[in-house]
Amino acid sequence: MAGGYAGKFLRVDLSKGSWDDFTIADDVLRQYIGGSCLAAKLFLERYPIEADPLSPENPLMIMTGPMVGSGFPGTSRFSVCAKSPQTGIWAESACGGTFGPELKRAGYDGIVIEGRSEKPVVLSIIDSKIALSDASSLWGKDIYEATDELKAADRSIKALVIGPAGENLARIAAIGNDKGHFSGRAGLGAVMGSKNLKAVLVKGNAGKAPKADDDAFKTAMKAAMQEIKESALAEGLHMMGSDANMDLGMVTGDVPVKNWTSGGEFDLANSLSGPTMREKYLTKAHACTNCPIACKRVVKVEDGPYTAEEGPGPEYETCAVFGTMLMNPDLTAVIKANELCNRYGMDTISCGSAVALAMELFEKGTVTKEQLDGLDLSWGRMDSVLELVKKMAYRQGFGDILADGAVHAARRIGGDAIDAVVHVKGLEAPMHDPRGFHGMGLAYMMSNRGACHLQHFVLATEQGMASWPQLFDMKDDYQGTTSEGKAALVYNSENYGILANSLAICHYVAYSIKPETLRDAFNAVTGFGFTFTNLLSTGMRDWTLKRGFNNLLGISKKDDILPKRIMTALDAGGAAGSVPDVDLLLKEYYELRGLDERGFPKAEILAVLGLDDLKARLYQ
Amino acid sequence: MPIKAMTQEWMDAYKAAIQADPDYRNIAKDWEGSVALVVNPDPSKNVPEPIYLFMDYWHGDVGEFVVCDKAKAESAKFVMTGDYARWKQVAFKELDATKALLQGKLKMKGDLPYVVRNIKTVNKVIDILGKVDTLWPDDHK
Repeated sequence: MAGGYAGKFLRVDLSKGSWDDFTIADDVLRQYIGGSCLAAKLFLERYPIEADPLSPENPLMIMTGPMVGSGFPGTSRFSVCAKSPQTGIWAESACGGTFGPELKRAGYDGIVIEGRSEKPVVLSIIDSKIALSDASSLWGKDIYEATDELKAADRSIKALVIGPAGENLARIAAIGNDKGHFSGRAGLGAVMGSKNLKAVLVKGNAGKAPKADDDAFKTAMKAAMQEIKESALAEGLHMMGSDANMDLGMVTGDVPVKNWTSGGEFDLANSLSGPTMREKYLTKAHACTNCPIACKRVVKVEDGPYTAEEGPGPEYETCAVFGTMLMNPDLTAVIKANELCNRYGMDTISCGSAVALAMELFEKGTVTKEQLDGLDLSWGRMDSVLELVKKMAYRQGFGDILADGAVHAARRIGGDAIDAVVHVKGLEAPMHDPRGFHGMGLAYMMSNRGACHLQHFVLATEQGMASWPQLFDMKDDYQGTTSEGKAALVYNSENYGILANSLAICHYVAYSIKPETLRDAFNAVTGFGFTFTNLLSTGMRDWTLKRGFNNLLGISKKDDILPKRIMTALDAGGAAGSVPDVDLLLKEYYELRGLDERGFPKAEILAVLGLDDLKARLYQ
Repeated sequence: MPIKAMTQEWMDAYKAAIQADPDYRNIAKDWEGSVALVVNPDPSKNVPEPIYLFMDYWHGDVGEFVVCDKAKAESAKFVMTGDYARWKQVAFKELDATKALLQGKLKMKGDLPYVVRNIKTVNKVIDILGKVDTLWPDDHK
C-alpha cells in the first residue's frame, strides 16, 4: 500500500442505516492522490451526476489526502465534495481545523455518505465503533450549541456540524468543524441537511498511517519548519491573520467596495484591517492541527453594541464582505456577523454578497422597507444586517429570498438585479477584484466550482506573495492591471495550486515553503517518487476531470465569463480604469489547457491524462 | 547631473525630494520612526562593502538622513536588508518592496503590522526614491 494512506474509505447509506468499508487501488491513488480530485473520480464512476443536489442520490464526500495526519505543517485539511445545490455543478470546499487528521487516526482516508435518513441523525466513528444515533434533540440548535453538546462528554472528539441554515436547506449553508473552521462555499451544508445528517463525529485509535521513508520525511519537515520561520508571509499571517490583506489590498485595488462599485477607501480599510483587529480585539492566535503559522484569530469584544464572547474571529474575506462591501467601518459588527454566520452555518462570502445585493437594491428602491419587515438597509446599517442574517438562516421574510445566495435571489427579484451580482457559474466571487488583478479574473472564469480563489495559487503568484521560478517561468513582480502573460501564470498556478486540495495541505503553508520541500515531503510520505512534472500533471488531471464533470452538466465556453459589473471600470482606487482583457486571457488559456471551441477538453488531452472514461462520456 | 547612489550627497537629495513632494506630508502624517536600509555587498556590481543608510521619518517630517555605520543602522525602528540588485529593482519599480519582503528577497526587522497599516507611506517614499537622478554603482564607467 502507498504510504500516508489509512488504506480504506467508509461508505454510509443513510437510507438503509448501513455502512461498509471499501478500498481504492494504489495505481488509482497515484493518479488522483486524494481529497477533491479523488472525490471527483469516485463521483463520476459511481453516482448519477444529473441528480438533484438536495436529493438522496447526491453523495456527500469527506475526503483527506495522504499528507493529512503526517505531522507536516498545514496538513490538517479535508475536502467536502458533492454536486452543489447553489450552482448545480461540481462543488468542493476545503477546510482546516481538526477533523481531517482525526479521521486518518480513525483509520479512514474518507467518508462517502449516500441516501437520506428518515429522521435527524449523527454519524459517529469513535474508537473503531461506527454508529448512527438519533439527533432529534440537536435539530434546530446552532453549530456552537450542538458542538458543545456533542463534545461535552469527551472534548477530544472532533465534530463536523451543520446549523439551522443547513437544516433549512439554505443553498449557501456551511459545515462547521469544532466551531472555528468551515467548509463554507457552494452550499455543502444544505447537502448535509438534505440527508438529515446533523453531525459527523470522529475519534481515532488507529495511530498514524505509515510513511514510505521516515528519514526523508524528517529532513523535509525540518526544512519546512525553517522556511516557515524565515517567511515574512508566515510571520504576517501569524501576526495579522488573513486580514493582513485589507490595507495592502485597498492600495492595489484588490478589495471590493460598496458591492464592487467603488475603490480607494483607505480609512475604511484601516478600520477593518488585520493590524486593527490585532490591536483592539485579538486575544490569541489559533492554529489548525500541525500548523506553526497559526493564522486563525480568536477575538473578544467587550464594549459597544456588538459585544462578543471570546471566540473565532473573522478572516479577511469576512472583513471585506461585511465591511467594505457594505460600507461598514465597524469591525465589531463584522465580528458579530461572523459569529452569527458561524452559529447558523452560512458561508460568509455568499451571505455578505447577498446582503450587499439587497442593500444596493434598497438604495435603488427595488427592495422596500416593507419587504424587509421594517429593516432600514441603508449602506452601513449593521443593526439591520445582523437581523437579516438571522432571517436568512431561518428563511424568514426577505431572508428566504437571500438564503440561496445572491444569484438565486437576483433571479427571484428579477429585472436587472442580476447585474448587481458578481459571480461566475452561480458562485459569488470572493473578495479579490479582478479589475485590480486580471489573472484572478481568468482564474474566476475557469475555476471548476465557480468564482474561486482557493482552487489555485493565483492569489500568491500574481500578487507577489510567492515566486517559484523552479516550477515554471515566472516574474518576481507582475503588474496586476495587465492581462498580458497572465494566462500562462494562471494555468501553471492552477496545476500546482489545485494539488493543495488533493494532498491535502494549507495554501498558506504551501506559499511559505519551497516547492522542492513540498515535493520531497510528499514523496517521503507516499513513496511515489514524483518529479515536479508528475505533480503538475496530476494538477492538470485534477482540473480536467472536474471540467469534464461540469461539461457533462452543460457547462461550456458560454459560462467562462466575467459579470457585467467587473467588466465596468472603476473611477477610484488601485484598479481605477482597468478591466481584464477577457478575449486575450481566454484565447491563450484555452490553448494552454487544450480546450476546444466549445470549452470541452480535447480528446487527445483526455487520453494523455488517462481520463478515458471521461473521454468516452464527453465524446460518445 | 546624476548623483552617486548611496552617498551622503544622494541621501541629501533624497531627503530634499521627499520634503518637496506635495503629497508626502499628508500621506505620512501617521508614520513615526526611523528606517535603515542595509545593502549587502556585491563586488561584481561595484559594491565591495555593505552600505548602511539611516532615515528618520516623523509624522510627515523628515529628520536625519545619513550614510552610517552598522551600529546606527541597527538602532533604527525598522531595518530592511537586501542585496544591491534587489534594492536597485525596488528603486526602478521593477520589484514592489512588499512583494520582495514576502518573497524573502528583502528582510525586515521591526513591527510588520505597523508597516502594513502604513503601506501608503512606504509606497510613497519608494515612489520619490525613483525620482532622484541617480548614478548606480554598476553604471559607473
